[in-house]
Amino acid sequence: MSRVLVADDESAIRKVVRDALEREGHEVIAVIDGQEALERFEEGSFDLVVTDLAMPRVDGIELVKEIRRRSEVPILVLTVRGEEREKVRLLDQGADDYVTKPFGVAELVARARALLRRGESARSPEITRWGDIEVEPEARTVRKGGRTVHLTPMEFSILVTMLRKPGAVWTHRQLMAEVWGTTAGVTTDTLRVHMGGLRRKLEDDPNRPRWFRTEPWVGYRFSPE
Amino acid sequence: MKLAARRWIGYPAALLVVGATIELLKLFPGVLAAFLATLGFNFFFLPPLYTFTIADPRNVTALFVFLVSGLLIGRLSALSRRRLELLEAERRDLIALTQLSQGFLADTNRESLLGVAAHRLREVLQCQQVAILLADEKGVLARRVETPGAELREDLAELAHRQGNSAAYPSDLGGTDIYLPIPVGLQRAGVLVARGLRSSERLAEACALLLGLAVERERFLALARAAAETRTSEQMKSTLLAQLAHDLKTPVAAARGVIENWEADSGGSDASRMAGAQLDTLGRRIGELMDLVRLDSGTAKPRPERVTCGEIVEAAVARFGEALAGHALFLEPPPPDLAVEVDPAQMTEALGHGLENAARYSPAGSTIHVSVAEDETNVFFRVADQGRGVPAEERERVFDRFVRLEDAGRLPGSGLGLSIARSLVELNGGHLRLREAEGGGALFEIALPRTAA
Repeated sequence: MSRVLVADDESAIRKVVRDALEREGHEVIAVIDGQEALERFEEGSFDLVVTDLAMPRVDGIELVKEIRRRSEVPILVLTVRGEEREKVRLLDQGADDYVTKPFGVAELVARARALLRRGESARSPEITRWGDIEVEPEARTVRKGGRTVHLTPMEFSILVTMLRKPGAVWTHRQLMAEVWGTTAGVTTDTLRVHMGGLRRKLEDDPNRPRWFRTEPWVGYRFSPE
Repeated sequence: MKLAARRWIGYPAALLVVGATIELLKLFPGVLAAFLATLGFNFFFLPPLYTFTIADPRNVTALFVFLVSGLLIGRLSALSRRRLELLEAERRDLIALTQLSQGFLADTNRESLLGVAAHRLREVLQCQQVAILLADEKGVLARRVETPGAELREDLAELAHRQGNSAAYPSDLGGTDIYLPIPVGLQRAGVLVARGLRSSERLAEACALLLGLAVERERFLALARAAAETRTSEQMKSTLLAQLAHDLKTPVAAARGVIENWEADSGGSDASRMAGAQLDTLGRRIGELMDLVRLDSGTAKPRPERVTCGEIVEAAVARFGEALAGHALFLEPPPPDLAVEVDPAQMTEALGHGLENAARYSPAGSTIHVSVAEDETNVFFRVADQGRGVPAEERERVFDRFVRLEDAGRLPGSGLGLSIARSLVELNGGHLRLREAEGGGALFEIALPRTAA
């Protein structure tokens, strides 16, 4: 059982999030704004924080900043469509993921599950088998449907990086920093081209990727489920 | 000997008298004084004394020289006097102009500026009446401020304004009546009329120039104020709209969540799934309406960035992919690094409406073809479908709001998507139109201006 802190100023949304997470077997503490969230956060330890972006007093971005100063606890933010710049900012400030309103409960629960599972962030791939794909990081081999697939070094590097955090969103910058070691001189278009290559080789329909999804204007997400 | 001595003392003394007389009587009397002094010299110093006769003929020459020097001195003295007066007048004018411009600068409001300006100008220009006529946007001298009782000839003011030349006439009030255009850059803001002018016309012209600057400054201040007010009201509008969108969407999201939770607990039913789907539709409609309100209220300001076409296509397909689930999707890879300067979110939205539209109006299982092309001036985003297409005469009408073609009546959709898409594209400096795709389907085409590499 995990303890989850939920901050949202809308009581209806609080109830929906609480019911969903309690059904998963978590203990949920729900508060109405960032200020109260910070106070409760000081008092006890939490395994996950779920916060709305727009709240009176201390808003989501402030809350993320404040919590990040004190703790490495995973943070999931509830955002609204059209706030792509805000999402990138949130992730840069230390939020771990977001769901976009109106979100499905299933989606919320899946994200929360992924974040809770990733308590101790792995340096090596968390997952090496999903769908019809098998990855052997040491041997640098990848098989799809039992047949070996040849990836370029960049594609392979992107793949093993993303496997470290299944279900998590990677911003363009984060991915570029991990794969190239720098964001200087690498454009998102370069990243997109390599991602295209990876999808062509591993996805059933590269135009509608199932595993390596696009988060519009934010980055990519590896979703093995 | 005694006489000679008296003459040598008397000569400069007489000159002094001449000078003093000139000082006292100013310019013209100076000439008179020269003659008087000459006569006096003759009377007192030239023998025979105390008569105007001259005994010695040589003294006639002396007396003549005396007269000429007297006149000369008188003339020189008058000239320098005149110059001093001019300098003094110019100094006064400059001080007056400085004070006037300070006064103008202190006023930031046109009404109070003009009200005070007429009175100030009357003092500075030393005239009887002052009127300031200002032109409206159409160039008609509509606005008028004047000192009490001012009478002026409209036709002369009109003439000065139209031709841009100043004109002066002898005044029935004494002095001059002057009609001066008020210059603003190369244009004219109106006409300054000064009646019974005593000061120089040059001063009046300088005043008109200052007045022009003041009016121009006031206009810029008003523009700046208006811009600031617009900004505030736009900020308010956009905050209110964001609040409204939030207030409308939250209950829908909450209701949907409640249903999902209920389904997860009890397994759900056809009814709950239907309610969920209906709520999804409601949420989308609210989104469209909010988009429309934002576009109409001018708060949907694009925030352009340099983005590659590949990113736009990728984002649109990712965001609207669900709508395309029943179709085959063919994405032609856009030319690498081909970039445009647009608001990424708005362009994703616009292209997404094209994808949705294609999916909605072409048979399930058919192919939707997405491509990016370029020519010298434009970059084109194209979505082609294999549906029945849109007849040429309807291709503009479908961009009108709530317009849906007759045979589309059974299909879901609000008739707003294309209209929103077109507004978004145009906001970003592009054009959106429908054409006929190869094979007769509809071709949705966004044309965006190329950006310099």
